[in-house]
Amino acid sequence: MSLDANRSALRRSLADGLLRRGPLEAVATTIIAAGVVMLMQPFSLTLYSWSFATTLLGTVMFTIVSKVRE
Amino acid sequence: MNELSASSRIAYRAAMVRPGVARRIRGLSDRTLAWLFITPTIVLLLAINIFPLLWTIYLSFTNYRANRPNAPVIWLGADWYQSILTDPDVWAAMQVTAHFVIWTVVIETVIGFGLAFLIDKKFRGHGIWTTIILLPMMLSPAVVGNFWTFLYQPQIGLFNYVVAFFTGRDASSFQMLGDVKLSPWAIVIVDVWMWTPYVMLICLAGLRSIPDYIYEAAEVDRASKWRQFWSITLPMALPFIMLAVLFRGIENFKMFDMVNLLTGGGPGSTTEVASITLKRAAFESWRTGYSSAFAIILFVSVFGLANIYVKALNKVKSR
Amino acid sequence: MTSANTAHSVVEPSTGTRRLAGSIVVLYAIITMIPLVWIMLTAFKSPDDAISYPPKVTFKPSLEGFCNLFTTRSRQTPDFIRSLGPPQGLCDSIARSRNMVVAGPSNYAPRFVNSLIIAFGSTVLAVALGTLAAYGFSRFRVPLKGDLLFFILSTRMMPPIAVAIPIYLMYRTVGLSDTRLGMILLYTSVNVSLAVWLLKGFIDEIPREYEEAAMVDGYTRFQAFVKVVLPQATTGIAATAIFCLIFAWNEYAFAVLLTSGNAQTAPPFIPIIIGEGGQDWPAVAAGTTLFVVPIVVFTVLLRKHLLRGITFGAVRK
Repeated sequence: MSLDANRSALRRSLADGLLRRGPLEAVATTIIAAGVVMLMQPFSLTLYSWSFATTLLGTVMFTIVSKVRE
Repeated sequence: MNELSASSRIAYRAAMVRPGVARRIRGLSDRTLAWLFITPTIVLLLAINIFPLLWTIYLSFTNYRANRPNAPVIWLGADWYQSILTDPDVWAAMQVTAHFVIWTVVIETVIGFGLAFLIDKKFRGHGIWTTIILLPMMLSPAVVGNFWTFLYQPQIGLFNYVVAFFTGRDASSFQMLGDVKLSPWAIVIVDVWMWTPYVMLICLAGLRSIPDYIYEAAEVDRASKWRQFWSITLPMALPFIMLAVLFRGIENFKMFDMVNLLTGGGPGSTTEVASITLKRAAFESWRTGYSSAFAIILFVSVFGLANIYVKALNKVKSR
Repeated sequence: MTSANTAHSVVEPSTGTRRLAGSIVVLYAIITMIPLVWIMLTAFKSPDDAISYPPKVTFKPSLEGFCNLFTTRSRQTPDFIRSLGPPQGLCDSIARSRNMVVAGPSNYAPRFVNSLIIAFGSTVLAVALGTLAAYGFSRFRVPLKGDLLFFILSTRMMPPIAVAIPIYLMYRTVGLSDTRLGMILLYTSVNVSLAVWLLKGFIDEIPREYEEAAMVDGYTRFQAFVKVVLPQATTGIAATAIFCLIFAWNEYAFAVLLTSGNAQTAPPFIPIIIGEGGQDWPAVAAGTTLFVVPIVVFTVLLRKHLLRGITFGAVRK
């Protein structure tokens, strides 16, 4: 019985780890930052062209993720 | 003590309440009252911020020109976005912005943190000197930009005179605002002058939030001052530094007023930051559709960064 | 305080460290003040002193800058000037010494008045709306509270030029372009976000027990708000008002793009003060000085709340 409890706790913590707000928010933050860097970097016009889409993706993701319960 | 006087005042006033009015307002539940209180603000923001934003999004897909309001409006889809995001000139403006943002933020953070660190030593009279240092950031960026053009005058300006005095060069041999190499730095200098106090103030709050007992424990462990700085002071002040960096980054990313008055984007387009490109497209060539698309691109970037900023704000708040 | 070896002062910096830190900070403060002091000095220089090389630190003070700021002048022949009566007032005699006569008042005074009206108007509105909304957010359970608060904050983060394009079109359609009312509404909408965030912090700090006691005593919620919460929040409201006032006073981007005459404020006007042959620097400096002095006073008044204001209330002390 105690083993069972342990296993379900493990499963829950795994699900929490993947769908928790913290890590997802960190990913969204990274995408936004990447988008802004792409917008202003002087190296590649292609990266510049895709910057807006990246930032938009990150921002939308951040907005959705912030709805996920802590 | 305060509570007592407040409640006695309340008891006195309660006797004066007219029953009719009281009953009518008592009829409002807290829920209704909450909405009554919040709605005016939301309505104002919807009318003056959100509605225009939605309109901008619509315009960014059309060929509308504000100086020809009666011309037929054609739906262009994402054409403007495509042309902006493949335009090397706009890309160049973004790099000018990057130069401005990166250097101002780096220099302001270094000087601002340094000043905060020194002020935190609580020397005599630090209060008054802190207030004096804070003055520049309270001024109007437009007025600041304008009077710095006076200081930067090659013949008569104080800045050129001081540089000439210390380097021995001729004061009229260089033009801070007219030279292609110098003007990007001219705007950085003014921004640093104006906004270093901001970074300083927030860093100071960070330093003051570090409890003394941590340093006392470090002293007991005989950690050197150098070590204490790197393993206590800096990490503990970091959330505050991040806050200042993000805010200055966002503000300078959309910088308009000061640069517009100092250089107006010139000479050529060497100081043409994104907002000035946008202003030229929107209010000089009247390419409203195009500039709307550009505005949306800038807005999304700022909005994304604002999300991160609020996250940093909450982190600091929970300290 | 001076002895470094008492038990509690393990972490206190030594006197030497303090002196060194103090002198570096004071040096920075002095250097950073030079541009501002220089402008204020220039306001009292004659045009020749203002553009002399090397720059003059000592000079004979003159009010010509202020005269030129407030008047327009026209050049006349010496004979014509001699044919006029005695000069009327100080400005007239200064103008006559330069072979000019005062033709009339300049636009600075009306622009300054516009600045006052628009700044105070928008501040009153923003603080009034902000206080109500802040109380609502602070005391009641509002659905989507976090989202609404973020939405309110994010409106302040918008790039002004991006907002100016549709506002320009909108105001043109409804007839608000270049009107004070239009500018007041616009500045209110920008300021209200700051007001809500700051005031929510201040109201959060007032214990709910005060209102609850009042309501037990027979007050309605609204009366409790007016008679208990508002008096307690006075300091917070005043600090918020000064922040809003400073923003509206200093604003340039909207003002330069959306106003041209009627409702133009001082910031877009000061840079375009020109005299004969280029900018009239003493007049510009005089205009700047008059414009900046209230801010200096307010900054000193606000110094305890500055941190709170610039971090949207996140940092309290």
